[in-house]
Amino acid sequence: MKVGIISFAHGHAHAYASSLVAIDGVTVVGIADDNEKRGKEAAQQYQTDYYQSYHELLAQGLDAVVVTSENARHKEPAVAAAKSGAPVLCEKPLAHTVEDAQAIIAACEDAGVLLQTAFPVRFNEAIKRAKARIDAGEFGDILAMKGTNRGKNPGGWFNDKQLAGGGAVIDHTVHVVDIMRWILQEDVTDVYAEIDQHFSAKAIDDAGILSLTFQNGVFATLDCSWSRNPNFPIWGDVTLEFIGTKGTLKVDAQAQKLDLYHSGGLQYNFWGDNMDDSLVRDFIESVQQKRSPSVTGTDGLKALEVAIGAYASAAKGDVVALGEGEQVAR
Amino acid sequence: MDQMVRVMVVGLGTMGAVHASSFVEMDETELTAVVDVKEERANEWGEKSGAKSFYSFDEAIKEVGEDIDVISICVPTDLHPAFVKKAADVKAAIICEKPLARSLEAAEEMITYCRKQGVALYVGHVVRFFPEYQKAKQALDESVVGKVGVVRTTRGGSYPVATEDWYANTDRSGGLVLDLLVHDFDFLRWCFGEVERVYARNLAGVAGINEERKDYALVTLRFVNGVIAHLEGTWAHEGFRTSFELAGKEGILHYDSQKNQALVAEKASPDGKPGVAVPESPLKNSPYYTELSHFIQCIQSGKEPIVTAEDALKAVEIGMAALQSIKKKKPVTIHSQKVAH
Repeated sequence: MKVGIISFAHGHAHAYASSLVAIDGVTVVGIADDNEKRGKEAAQQYQTDYYQSYHELLAQGLDAVVVTSENARHKEPAVAAAKSGAPVLCEKPLAHTVEDAQAIIAACEDAGVLLQTAFPVRFNEAIKRAKARIDAGEFGDILAMKGTNRGKNPGGWFNDKQLAGGGAVIDHTVHVVDIMRWILQEDVTDVYAEIDQHFSAKAIDDAGILSLTFQNGVFATLDCSWSRNPNFPIWGDVTLEFIGTKGTLKVDAQAQKLDLYHSGGLQYNFWGDNMDDSLVRDFIESVQQKRSPSVTGTDGLKALEVAIGAYASAAKGDVVALGEGEQVAR
Repeated sequence: MDQMVRVMVVGLGTMGAVHASSFVEMDETELTAVVDVKEERANEWGEKSGAKSFYSFDEAIKEVGEDIDVISICVPTDLHPAFVKKAADVKAAIICEKPLARSLEAAEEMITYCRKQGVALYVGHVVRFFPEYQKAKQALDESVVGKVGVVRTTRGGSYPVATEDWYANTDRSGGLVLDLLVHDFDFLRWCFGEVERVYARNLAGVAGINEERKDYALVTLRFVNGVIAHLEGTWAHEGFRTSFELAGKEGILHYDSQKNQALVAEKASPDGKPGVAVPESPLKNSPYYTELSHFIQCIQSGKEPIVTAEDALKAVEIGMAALQSIKKKKPVTIHSQKVAH
């Protein structure tokens, strides 16, 4: 199976590449990156060829493509990959705008290729277990949820609105919203958000508390802030708490860790199963077995709509209804 | 040494019992009278402490009102205004449990009435006397974490049990948004100043009886200084817990009562089932004792308390805005007005 990776702009490219090279029957045939230095280094690291242009890479006749470019640069390579007939694993958020996300979904549908949004948290074992236990009815009906996906400011293009579409809100809303949607099997109907810049040197939103309502009336909040400072012992967190009629369930996706009290400071060393690896293997299997993706493009779009809705809410200072007006086509 | 301060405690439920035992323990105070509609409970405290026991506040006022220096009001929230006014009429200093009142108007009226009668009014916002919260406030004052951006708090546990199940009646208690979160409203206001905007959601709604005996609320506060705070209040969990996280530019200050435990006892239950771990945070004086002792000192010296009745009013104002937000499903902006002097 011939797989190509388009851009190492997003750090997750390394996680996906190291998984891909370890899968039997998968060959990473090339890495395309408009940043030549970065692309060549990655190509060397994963012992593959470097391409200046992703069109050249796609011309190699790929069986699957991983798109890990900047958010605003997902659409072009993803659409091109679809047109070349290659299934796409696209980094989250699916795009920086709803329009771009819709275009990616449409291109993959038209070409009849699989599109998966890279939501690795769905493959975290604690999260999977939480869903299984909630699905089994152990906590009765879910009434409310509380989530956090806090982190450090990743810097670089993540602080560039043109390339990222926003800051912490677009970066950290989508993971947890996807999990909430996945577990509830319901869509978000409205969002209220308090958004600000409190921690960063550059002008970018880095503080956000979102309040969500789901179709079935469940309410939830999400803290998507880049509120961790550089010395925080780990990159950030993903936590969720579910309030049900029969009990509560708390899940901390990063709790399987060692605490390292180092002379240089405290560090958390995660020892749980690698969710990025599980995500990549699932994508490859879906392609090989020609089955539907575990996480769809629409899942990516729905999560993105919440982030975009959050920005709209903060600008308006009011609750914003989703799915109204401009109805999402697909 | 001044004369013993003679105290009457009205309402001997959970908080009333804490007040009564604190006043028994305190050197400066004498528990002179206790009042409870439950005759058994009033008698029990009378026998235990030597206080005169009464079954009605009116009767207690009539009998011993003249001989009381301080009246502690520990009755359900909806009864606070009437009781505080009666206490003010006999010119006693008043300690009233939080929240000050079930509505902003009632709270304002109570403050105005006490001022008119020339009696001091203290409100039991005990969180300001919990050392973990005091330490956090001190750290903020010393700018330990730099400029604060995002704050998270948690408070709650299981559904409260009380006389007439009054907590379940939101019309009486305001539900957990008012009764429980008023602590965090006050603490956060102490730390970050005035609140500009409130958005809140809860399970129980804003009025009527919560038959589910379960409530859970998530509240977002936007402060005038820009701080965004997320408050969790719960009566849907097992076992009481509090936590807070103050994330600033230079650091994060974090406390979690479920992690920072000084003493944890685990005992097998007699029926062979696994026992429950019971945590404890031992201190020389309980925060309740420290609070009440501070109020007594303020009564004796006339000095300004750490938490004023105006602070308590502001906390109610935030709580009422949260309830309004829940009802309207909209953010509510607070247009604060000063209490008329």
